[in-house]
Amino acid sequence: MTEYFIRRLLQSILVLFLISLVAFGLIHAAPGGPTQMMMAPGVSPETAKIQAHNLGLDKPVPTQYVIWLTNMLKGDLGHTFKNNLPVGEVLWPTVGNTIKLMAFAWFIALLIAIPWGIYNSTKVYGISDQTANFVSYIGFAMPAFWFGIILQELFSLKLDWLPLSDMYDMDKQGNFGNLLYHLILPCSVLVLGFLASYSKYARSSMLEVLEQDYIRTARAKGVPERKVIFRHALRNALIPIITIIGLDLPILVGGATLTESVFNWPGMGRLFVEMARSREYSVLMAITLITAVVVVAGNFIADILYKIVDPRVKLGSKGGKSA
Amino acid sequence: MSDMNIETAPNVQASEHTEPAIAPLPPSKKPPGPWMTVVKKFFRNPYAVTGLIVLLFFVVISVLANVITPYDPAKIDLMNANLKPGTGDHLLGTDELGRDIFSRLLHSGQISLTVGFSVAAISVIIGTLVGAISGFFGGWIDTIFMRLIDVMNSIPTLFLNILVMAIFGTKIHYMIMILAFTSWMGVARLVRGTYLQLREMQYVEAARAIGVSRTGIIFRHLLRNASFPIIVNATLMVGGAILSESGLSYLGLGIQAPATSWGLMLSNSQEFMLIDPLQAIYPGVCILAVVLAVNFIGDGIRDAMDPRQKKKISRRRLDKWRKNYSKSGI
Amino acid sequence: MAEKLLEIRNLTTAFMSENGFVKATDRISLNIEKGQTLCLVGESGSGKSVTSLSIMRLIDYAGGSILEGNIRFNGDDLATKEQDQMRSIRGNKIAMIFQDPMSALNPVFTVGEQIAESLRLHQNKSHSEAWKEAIELLRLVGIPAPEMRAKQYPHELSGGMCQRVVIAVALACKPELLIADEPTTALDVTVQAQILELLMKLKEELGMAILLITHDMGVAAEVADHIAVMYAGSIVEQGTVEEIFSNPSHPYTVGLLQSIPGFEGKRGNELYTIKGTIPGLGNLPKGCRFNPRCPHVMDKCRQVEPGDIQIGAEHSTKCWLYEDKDRNGVSVSGGIGGNANG
Repeated sequence: MTEYFIRRLLQSILVLFLISLVAFGLIHAAPGGPTQMMMAPGVSPETAKIQAHNLGLDKPVPTQYVIWLTNMLKGDLGHTFKNNLPVGEVLWPTVGNTIKLMAFAWFIALLIAIPWGIYNSTKVYGISDQTANFVSYIGFAMPAFWFGIILQELFSLKLDWLPLSDMYDMDKQGNFGNLLYHLILPCSVLVLGFLASYSKYARSSMLEVLEQDYIRTARAKGVPERKVIFRHALRNALIPIITIIGLDLPILVGGATLTESVFNWPGMGRLFVEMARSREYSVLMAITLITAVVVVAGNFIADILYKIVDPRVKLGSKGGKSA
Repeated sequence: MSDMNIETAPNVQASEHTEPAIAPLPPSKKPPGPWMTVVKKFFRNPYAVTGLIVLLFFVVISVLANVITPYDPAKIDLMNANLKPGTGDHLLGTDELGRDIFSRLLHSGQISLTVGFSVAAISVIIGTLVGAISGFFGGWIDTIFMRLIDVMNSIPTLFLNILVMAIFGTKIHYMIMILAFTSWMGVARLVRGTYLQLREMQYVEAARAIGVSRTGIIFRHLLRNASFPIIVNATLMVGGAILSESGLSYLGLGIQAPATSWGLMLSNSQEFMLIDPLQAIYPGVCILAVVLAVNFIGDGIRDAMDPRQKKKISRRRLDKWRKNYSKSGI
Repeated sequence: MAEKLLEIRNLTTAFMSENGFVKATDRISLNIEKGQTLCLVGESGSGKSVTSLSIMRLIDYAGGSILEGNIRFNGDDLATKEQDQMRSIRGNKIAMIFQDPMSALNPVFTVGEQIAESLRLHQNKSHSEAWKEAIELLRLVGIPAPEMRAKQYPHELSGGMCQRVVIAVALACKPELLIADEPTTALDVTVQAQILELLMKLKEELGMAILLITHDMGVAAEVADHIAVMYAGSIVEQGTVEEIFSNPSHPYTVGLLQSIPGFEGKRGNELYTIKGTIPGLGNLPKGCRFNPRCPHVMDKCRQVEPGDIQIGAEHSTKCWLYEDKDRNGVSVSGGIGGNANG
């Protein structure tokens, strides 16, 4: 287990290192390099040169990479080109806002999707199962931002029940109730997206387990059907669900970008789009690296959890009576 | 009693047979090839057929956009802005700049379908190459490619797309390239997996033993075994690419005016939600319809090539059969 | 004659497909007496497993359904029971062991737990009582250091060990009938013999009846009291083991026996195989279902399916060759029938 843990950890660090190379490489592969990219039209070449020197952009690219990476590791994310603000100051609040939105939506989605998928696996092609199937087809095929726009038109403009956008009303900054009120629409958009895949994962994972020989053995023992599902099948079915959800993290992190843009949610995704438009490359690199860390860590944790839940891959098991 | 049996026995055992006592089964009708079976099953699936019809419909009207509608999608005509649907020749009215919405929808279709199909084609090529090379060489080359796939899967695709579009500029061929570069991983894994599986097959070893080139065999079988999953993967990628394109265009980092796309139209529509809410409906419905159609086709192919019987028969139908069965008395 | 434990009459089981149902077993009739071993022999796809799943009524979960017939167990018809009623019989009065022991055990529970579960379900034992008895059962099936083994997970045991555990699970409640579906097929040859020996020893100790499903005539010869030969969903010949081996009558049985290496002076010759393949259950030939592969095929065989023809006190066959040998004097002709005892 320890050996696996260390091997997996080193692997994750390697992947992160490669991602940092890709992100850094992309910026420097841009035509004209980052200097050219950031310069507003009409800036004299002399000014550009001075700026580039200030930012260390006249050094050789590998040196720049090493400097950037060491700074990142020290927690120094650099400064924005315009206004010379520390990147952290711009970035961290948006990260918190994104987490609020995503965690809320994700939690609700899992709470609905997993029991629903399990239920559907026991009543295949029933009404509930058909509905879930319909929802996931729509969820996969519908542009999330369009769904957001439609919800806005219906619930804010037409019915005037819910706020059109933003995180708080102007006069109610920081009010939790007001936050929940603003969360409803963007969350609905995200929940539909998650529901589309998670209920399917849960269902197919359960169905696969229910076809296994050991389920037949359980039935042959005379185990009641309810116990077959919840005791014998569920534990086995949850193992792949955990992995898949862990692997889905990139979608989780990146997927809010469009929703945040539609609802003007001051999150990381929206910041990324804004910064991409104004070519604030230090912010872009910081966001890319942070999301990569989250994603890699998520996969890592999912993998480790997998090993813990599934005794087949447990090395040096202690055994014992399991419930 | 038993002597009776003894008498019969030699009869049956037909004395000393060196030849097999039981004749071979006469060759039955040659079964149809795998392609034919899949095609037949595909056309029996109502969803898949509907998907195919819808997709063909969109392909035809996009290709014939210039014939169907007389309006230039980019022509600004402020005198005729915000016309209601059905005014004059404007089937769906005009937008805030007086551009004909119907014409814009059709021309958007051209862009979306082009992006969708090109991305799928390119990423299938990349994925197949990477997967085959990875499986064929194995060792450190395989390790490098697999780590690369890990890296690609760990960066949120949308971020990478935005980054590239922002850095290199919003040109359609850049968009196609970056969408393809961020969606080949599934095919690569699939091809590699099939390759590794085939390598272990005994007939491959057998073929090698009689001096047939092993790689030749593997590649022939590889294409035969992996072609259906690749097609399914590609169809689903068409839908994904169309969605990504619309998302990027919506964010202003994809298709730029005067060209048009469904995502771009949605981006415009949001600004004029109060004046003309219908503008937001049309492009979204188009995206939904096309992606749904493509996904239905993909699922149709997947189900058609799956040899397992997936249909479960309802209790009611089963009871009916049982009743008919006992009535028929056979 | 000994007391009948299980009496199957005209059991017809079908699987549903898009084009209607496909019969997996067609009007099969079997008897098992208390404490006896019946071997059901046939190629894969002949409906042996479906028969066993039907007795357990696990067929309902496999997408199949019993269309017709009775399965009388101690006089009680299992074919019409509700699943809830079956639950108190399964694992208790009738138990089953399966082909692949490695996949038949749940990977996330310890083996002791999997045995104890049966005891808790059917005998209302407490956790600790059940656990203690599980260890005793492990000892009974010949697992060394059962206290330690009980705490292990299935993946930590070898295939042969796992099959012993599966047997322990099945025997937990001392069933009257044990159905063993190819219990040795997935195991190494040396282990196969040990498992068979264990089964027979336990049968004697517990006085249960065994329905052993196998494709191997050699196994049947060793352990069976009665043999029923199955082909394409139908029992083509059944009788005592002596009758079947000394006096095989159906051409299919003859073929099966000849394909045993070293049987009837065949030693040294090349291995005999029955040519052709078992027909798909969806497209059985007209008449006798064996006629396309039969060396003695007659015109009648291609037209009418034979019924059971009684050719000995405990020996019947479905073959037109024996039409005039029918001890009942009635030739049960095509389609209907199957119950020659009636």
